Amino acid sequence: MKVKKIKLMLGCVLAMVLLAGATGFAQSPTTLELKDTLGKAPTAETLTKGDAAGALTGTISDVTVSDEAAGLTLGDVGNQVGQNKIAINFMWTLIAGFMVMFMQAGFAFVEAGLCRAKNANHTYMMNFAVYACGLFAYWLIGFSIQMGGCGGALGGALGLNTEHTINLFGKTWGIFGGTGMFLSGQTYDVAVMVIFLFQMVFMDTALTIVTGAGAERWKFLTFCVSSMIMGAFTYPLFANWAWGTGWLGSLGDNLGLGANYSDFAGSGVVHAVGGLSGLGLALIMGPRIGKYNRDGSSNSILGHDISAVLVGCFILAFGWFGFNPGSTLGASGALRISTIAVNTMLAGCTGTFGAMLYMWCLKGKPDASMSGNGLLAGLVAITAPCAWVNTMGAAIIGVLAGVLVCLSAAYVENVMKVDDPVGAVSVHGTCGLFGLIAVGLFADGSYGVTGLFYGGGINQLVAQLIGISTLIGFVFTTSFVINWVLDILMGQRTSAESEVEGLDIPEMGQLGYPEYVLKAEPEVLLAAEQGAVA
Amino acid sequence: MAATKSQGRTLVLFMGGITAACAGGAFFGSGAGKAALIVGLSMLVASFAGGFKQKALEGPTAEKKQPLGLKLLGLALSLGGWLIMLVGVNVASATGGKLAVCLVGIAVSLVGVMGVLPKASVQGAIWKA
Repeated sequence: MKVKKIKLMLGCVLAMVLLAGATGFAQSPTTLELKDTLGKAPTAETLTKGDAAGALTGTISDVTVSDEAAGLTLGDVGNQVGQNKIAINFMWTLIAGFMVMFMQAGFAFVEAGLCRAKNANHTYMMNFAVYACGLFAYWLIGFSIQMGGCGGALGGALGLNTEHTINLFGKTWGIFGGTGMFLSGQTYDVAVMVIFLFQMVFMDTALTIVTGAGAERWKFLTFCVSSMIMGAFTYPLFANWAWGTGWLGSLGDNLGLGANYSDFAGSGVVHAVGGLSGLGLALIMGPRIGKYNRDGSSNSILGHDISAVLVGCFILAFGWFGFNPGSTLGASGALRISTIAVNTMLAGCTGTFGAMLYMWCLKGKPDASMSGNGLLAGLVAITAPCAWVNTMGAAIIGVLAGVLVCLSAAYVENVMKVDDPVGAVSVHGTCGLFGLIAVGLFADGSYGVTGLFYGGGINQLVAQLIGISTLIGFVFTTSFVINWVLDILMGQRTSAESEVEGLDIPEMGQLGYPEYVLKAEPEVLLAAEQGAVA
Repeated sequence: MAATKSQGRTLVLFMGGITAACAGGAFFGSGAGKAALIVGLSMLVASFAGGFKQKALEGPTAEKKQPLGLKLLGLALSLGGWLIMLVGVNVASATGGKLAVCLVGIAVSLVGVMGVLPKASVQGAIWKA
């Protein structure tokens, strides 16, 4: 009897709870509001008439409903908002990646334009093939080394969860990633694909910088092998240390140094790695025939198409809007992109002025190729600090880089006696390193990093110098050794005979400009060429 | 001699080798992975051997042999500067001390990169001959 009573009471309580819940649910103002809004949404009939003003397209009726029976719920709206946020970030990052990919065309124009017509096909082809070489190697293993332990981004990518570490001086340091080879297994994931595409085009930018330093004398076979090794190992290793939870990204936690080594879009990771690797290659290969006279003075070997150089510079400047603002890896909740974009264009502007006015005042003419390099120098230098400096800082960084690239190019050519046909070492190496220092000086603290000039002390500067030391001491050395070994095994340089003829026919089998008669080389170069072949 | 069919085949061998070696590394736990690694490394060795053979057939290049000792010294300085920095920043407790060892490390590396290695390169330059 008692049990029956209890059962009855429990039944009543349960019925009351269910009733209250149902009533509460039915009367929830949010649900009512959702249904009301849904009711007011334009009907299919209205939309059939066309939406010229754009005020009717995209309403609550476009929200995906998970359960037709229950109708639209707050959960559905929340999920849609979350997916939209990630979709916006996906789209922004992908489009930025496409823009960076297009920078390959800019590099091709700049480098080929600065080379002689007899090497045009070869130079264009190196810039073209480096894309395939780098992408292939990066897919095989490079991405895994770089991002295999990054631990997720863009709302997913949680499969990238293995970072190999070592314990030194009582602290744990990340060395390289371990998941993502062939983008298979747990990394067969939509967010991973976005990260792969974006990081891949950055890697390829670093690789294409090297082709400039080796232009007009690099054997095509060795160029392909060298580029694949760089895309598979050299670049990804440093990129892991800086961006993929490697040890440079732990300097704040482990050594109390500011906000870690901070390189927002790659002055160091991309440009300095490319520039320093190019320096190593140029040192191994030696100068082009005729570049230097017996007394050590240099001859200027003019490029064949200044219009291609300047068009290439503009393409690169356009692509940089993907490079720097895209490095936010999102547009939703990352509104700093507007500041980054303005800083980028400002530094390019003042970089152009820096180089153009320096050359004009010093040589009497506003040298076109150096003006182009000034634009690139400003862009390279602002790449690391673009998110952390204000517009004043960006302008100063740009102008300093514009002057610096002229000084560096003269030093590399006349003091170091390194033949760098397109100025890759100075534009990307020197100005890339300068950009890293600029973070430690000019970061204004409004976005998490504070430099010396804004009361942040020297902590951030020291973190940046650790990165610079690693670039010069480790990346350069590794790259030099790899290219040296390749020189021994395969030979880096084409034969003197091919070099004199121009690499288009011997290396590519076709002239870049078959219908044009090539002008004879100047006297001084002709004499050197005859001597080299003899 | 310039680009040839055998150079193209060497590149195919290299690409096949690096692909197989990477696949071997990715699936090293399995027997097939280990086999792929061995095959890949063998292909890489074969490609380098092919490249070496072809190099001998090419004409002389416009460079002389660079002095080995200077090159090694330059590389040792370059790497040594980095190691000085690495140990120094972990040993020094004050930020000023860390800054000092960073600057010393960078200076040592730069002596190697901007001083010694270019000297080695210039000594092997054909224009001096």
